[in-house]
Amino acid sequence: MISNLWSRKDVGPKSAESRSVSAAPVAAALGVALLLALTAAVSWGSTFIPHGDVWGVVGRRLSGENARLGTYDLVVWQLRVPRAVLAALVGAGLGLVGTAVQALVRNPLADPYLLGISSGASLGAVAAIVLGVGAGGALGLGLSSAAFVGALATFAVVWAVARRGGNFGPLRLVLAGVAIGQFLSGFTSYLVLQSGDVQQTHSVLFWLMGSLSGASWPLLAAPAVAVPVALLWLQARARGLNALLMGDETAAGLGVDVVRLRRELFTLTSLLTGILVAVSGAIAFVALMVPHVCRMVVGGDHRRLLPVSALLGALLLVVVDIVCRTAMDAQELPVGVVTSLIGAPALLYLLDRRSGDGS
Amino acid sequence: MKVDIENLHVAYAGRTVVSGVGLLAAEGEITGLIGPNGSGKSTLLRTVYRHLQPTAGRVLLSGTDIRELSPARAARYVAALPQERGGDFELSVREVVAMGRTPHKRGFAGDDATDRDIVARALAEVGMAQHTGRRFSALSGGERQRVLLARALAQDPEVLVLDEPTNHLDIRHQVDLLALLRVQRRTTLVSLHDLNAAASVCDRLHVLHHGMLVASGRPREVLTPALLAEVFGVRAAVVDHPLTGDPLIAFDHRLPVEAMQGTGTALEV
Repeated sequence: MISNLWSRKDVGPKSAESRSVSAAPVAAALGVALLLALTAAVSWGSTFIPHGDVWGVVGRRLSGENARLGTYDLVVWQLRVPRAVLAALVGAGLGLVGTAVQALVRNPLADPYLLGISSGASLGAVAAIVLGVGAGGALGLGLSSAAFVGALATFAVVWAVARRGGNFGPLRLVLAGVAIGQFLSGFTSYLVLQSGDVQQTHSVLFWLMGSLSGASWPLLAAPAVAVPVALLWLQARARGLNALLMGDETAAGLGVDVVRLRRELFTLTSLLTGILVAVSGAIAFVALMVPHVCRMVVGGDHRRLLPVSALLGALLLVVVDIVCRTAMDAQELPVGVVTSLIGAPALLYLLDRRSGDGS
Repeated sequence: MKVDIENLHVAYAGRTVVSGVGLLAAEGEITGLIGPNGSGKSTLLRTVYRHLQPTAGRVLLSGTDIRELSPARAARYVAALPQERGGDFELSVREVVAMGRTPHKRGFAGDDATDRDIVARALAEVGMAQHTGRRFSALSGGERQRVLLARALAQDPEVLVLDEPTNHLDIRHQVDLLALLRVQRRTTLVSLHDLNAAASVCDRLHVLHHGMLVASGRPREVLTPALLAEVFGVRAAVVDHPLTGDPLIAFDHRLPVEAMQGTGTALEV
């Protein structure tokens, strides 16, 4: 009887249909694509290595055989596999951290790079090197910690600046982030250039544009732990992230401890950004684009969005790194060059699309 | 389940917004909060759904202080419909309503058949069952409000707390929404701008003015010309509704009350 009260059809635009499809086939397809991309990434380079030989080396290594046998062992196992795996881990991490930051600040235009958090992490890492803290034997742990501190402090400052005067518009946050990020990048450049002993892997270009050229097995340890842990941690709080999208009051009414969840997300995103920047510098736009694209495909529910964003981020960065290594004959491009070339037009498209919504 | 509010004081942004309010929302009744803008209605409701903490006083759910419950436990008893719109994150109508299951779930638990059933029923109750796949941000204001109400119903709460639920709704949807509240027969605490709507759907009314409770009782006892003049600053007659017999407030839209009383001063708001 009551349901009849609302039987009148409100005619809405048909184009407003949510395009979300089931996540499982998307995730499976991305997983397969990632395996293929990883294989290609190891095969292609200054010398081409057939796919069969790639998996032969990997198989021998993983099965624990005395592996120094194959011709390709050194190139595959010591150079190209760690690099491809680093690309996948960093890409997955960027996909996750972008998704988390966007929910945290309730702003689909946010990512750690635009908000200046990556720049803060870079400055932290560079300061540690210049002061001689991160150079020691702790395998980047000192570097990661310094980058984390830089990320956390920057995020806090950007947040505070954006909140001044009460209103906390999405553009105000991004502008504050860009301004502070530029300031910190300038400072980073100065520190690196004046320090004199500029190693190739820790150049200005590395910290400001991002690069995967430093890849090695030991370097993988921190992201190999942090990225899966972050995925599980976020996945366990996916419903809380969904609630945050609707607003703090709604989330509180749904039984989410908003203050605590915010504080945890703040720490997690800073930590993850710090670890990623310590191994690969500040890579632009991946964390912004990946969650966006994934939302268009599987919808905004974080239970589906998080794993799909991680997979797409991994795939994207592995593919981009192939381009970076093979585009030019004599030298390679920093990975951030290519992500910026793709990402900046994508950001403009998103801005255009959002202003077209009128909301 | 009843809600007892005892001597509640709430400060917000350094200012005391609610001071010393005590009221009871009885089991299964619709309890209305009315008062001018800034009288503390929303602040009081935010304290009940735990967005704000009281500086003094308590909110009791059948005798238990809500601050002694975990956030999720409290949200299994109390569902809220705040005045928030949410951002554009490509959420579908179904996903927004499914959020209502949040306090019933832990960690990685997915939605089971029961959850899907509850979500479908809530959508049907508000007449949005045909729109489950649409993007929430593309809905009209009225549709959104119905979806958000469905989310609150999907929480399967004992108590519904609604902050101006009829705002932005056209008259037909206002009538429909209030009718739905009446058939729900859940303990309901609702703030309303529309005094005539409040008079016809609420079992009891509480009037807030400058953060203090100034009147409580049945709508007919509370809504008197004297109170309307004092609290809302308007001149009005209260008559019987020709169709329902409920109190009907007929406002004088032409003159402020002071002028009618011959003071000659303009009404200060």
